[in-house]
Amino acid sequence: MLQTFRQSMAWLHTWFGLVLGFVLMAVFFFGSLSVFDREIDRWALPETRFEPQPMPSYDNLLADVFPNMEAEEEELDAARKRIGGELPAQLQPVGWGAYTTHRDPVLDVFTEYSVPNPADPFDHVHGHLTLDPRNGTVLPHDRLKIGSEFFYPLHYSLHIQWQQLGTWIVGVAALIMLVALVSGVIIHRRLFRELFTFRPGKRTQRSSLDLHNLTGVVALPFHFIFALSGLTIFAFLYLPVGETVLTTPAQAHLMEEAVSRGLPFEPAGEPAPIASVDAMVMEAKKRWAERGMPGEVGFLWVTHPGDRNSFVSLFRAGSDRVAFVGQGVHFDAVSGRVLYEEPPPSVVAGINEFLTGLHLQHFEHWPLRWLYVLGGLLGCTCIATGFIFFTEKRKRNLKDAALVRRVDALAVTAVTGMVVAAGTILVANRLLPVALPHRGTWEEVVFWLAWLLAFAHAIWRGRAVPGSLSPAWREQCWAIALLAVTAVVLNWITTGDHLLKTLITERYWPVAGLDLALLASAAIAIRVAFLLRGRERATAFVDSQGSRALEVVRG
Amino acid sequence: MKTATITPLHILSRTAAALLGGYCFVWGFTTLGIALAVTLGMSFGEARTLSYLLAFLLFTAVFCWAFATASLGRAWLLLAGGGAVMTLLGWLLAN
Repeated sequence: MLQTFRQSMAWLHTWFGLVLGFVLMAVFFFGSLSVFDREIDRWALPETRFEPQPMPSYDNLLADVFPNMEAEEEELDAARKRIGGELPAQLQPVGWGAYTTHRDPVLDVFTEYSVPNPADPFDHVHGHLTLDPRNGTVLPHDRLKIGSEFFYPLHYSLHIQWQQLGTWIVGVAALIMLVALVSGVIIHRRLFRELFTFRPGKRTQRSSLDLHNLTGVVALPFHFIFALSGLTIFAFLYLPVGETVLTTPAQAHLMEEAVSRGLPFEPAGEPAPIASVDAMVMEAKKRWAERGMPGEVGFLWVTHPGDRNSFVSLFRAGSDRVAFVGQGVHFDAVSGRVLYEEPPPSVVAGINEFLTGLHLQHFEHWPLRWLYVLGGLLGCTCIATGFIFFTEKRKRNLKDAALVRRVDALAVTAVTGMVVAAGTILVANRLLPVALPHRGTWEEVVFWLAWLLAFAHAIWRGRAVPGSLSPAWREQCWAIALLAVTAVVLNWITTGDHLLKTLITERYWPVAGLDLALLASAAIAIRVAFLLRGRERATAFVDSQGSRALEVVRG
Repeated sequence: MKTATITPLHILSRTAAALLGGYCFVWGFTTLGIALAVTLGMSFGEARTLSYLLAFLLFTAVFCWAFATASLGRAWLLLAGGGAVMTLLGWLLAN
């Protein structure tokens, strides 16, 4: 596009990095938090603060839970609209199951029901519950799991549900991340030197570029693999060729696979009782052990429950390896005998499973999980310093003043504003009354309002003065510190779980870890606020002395 | 950097070529890739996984190329046209 290849790549890096950088910032930050999503859930739901539990007995516990479950009211409403009439009082269950990991005290159970819809034979609705696997107590429905139900979906969908638009936007952002990494390497060339260059004492423009290059290079393989595997995880959504142009081979493959596995495709329509699932679990565990990979059940699914053609699928939890859940063993639900045991994955499937598992990190390795957080935060630093470099570079040019102010306000919103919103939802979680109806929804509302408020504040305080950042950065740092400390104190007051207890007397890492992370965030925010204050004073001093011709552009 | 020659319309068209044209090209690659692999005896599921693994590496490359190449017309022709041709070939091969 421009005279030289490198100029074109620099243009691409600058402008696409800027526009999608705001999305990437959220993806990286909430992705980092998602590494500890289950732990954030424990903090947010004090009644679930106990040790992780294995998959409970089906025969003694789950067998009584599933038949009494119902589809979600919102899904039923949507289904009534789709078929344009009333639904039968009792919907036929298509399947039900449970999912757990080595970090889950509570169990997620879910059901699927077929909807009699002449236009779509595969139309269905879902039910969902969270229960205490020790006794079957059901958790209230309007409790929000802030980690796994709010921060984690925000990471890949931005909570924009309509037509999965959010996931498409994140997909474009991930592609631009890959493009930014490639173009960034082309622009800079001297990769090795960037690893050892950081001059914090230099002008903001220079030191922010140093840090941008340093964080970009140091975590380059991490960022590349995560952007790429994120895209391949959602490839079925982005490139649905099997559902559009290649339906013929796709259907043939499905039929072939079903036949070769010997798993019933359709219900028989005759009721039949289910055999002991606990015995099937024993058999599956025995088979995994024989394959040299003893383990626990992570995912259990019953297809066509209560029908003569019902079968039970048991998948192994991937706590001890990178690759995700797998090694499925499928049982005839009525006789209890094995129908099909999945073979080890092929090379291609193995690479895919590895990449998926690497991204979703279900393995049990705490230092590695912290490295993920570090990698994600390095990504945030890289993007944030990119924003600052962009505005600093243009502050001397009067005609860019309006652009600089807007970008700076957006940068404040995307960086500190996002952390303010995350802190606010935790504070709201501890302050909202327990009996408040739709409590979880209110927590979400407060989160978005806080972010909007941070945006308004960033616009109000914005200015373009070379060498000095907008005071909004400093002020929002104070807000972060205040919110983080408040969250820790509120956790103590409302639950009695202070750090002395969660660290020493009754050690409970999920809560202690988040409390410590909040305090560390507060400490960093306070330190940064003082640093920024110092810089503002120095700039103001230079300005008032008139020893440098600074162009002060105020809006 | 000379930016005087770049009009907003050019940037818009260039971006569309990289994003939409690139998407079309990757779609064609995936379709033809799967169809070819299935014809050569690979299972559909395997071929699809393999194509998905390569698709976004290819997208990154063609996206950068759409901005690097001098001629905007050529970028459109190769990406959108190439994508359409590959999709058609893949469809013919599979049906």
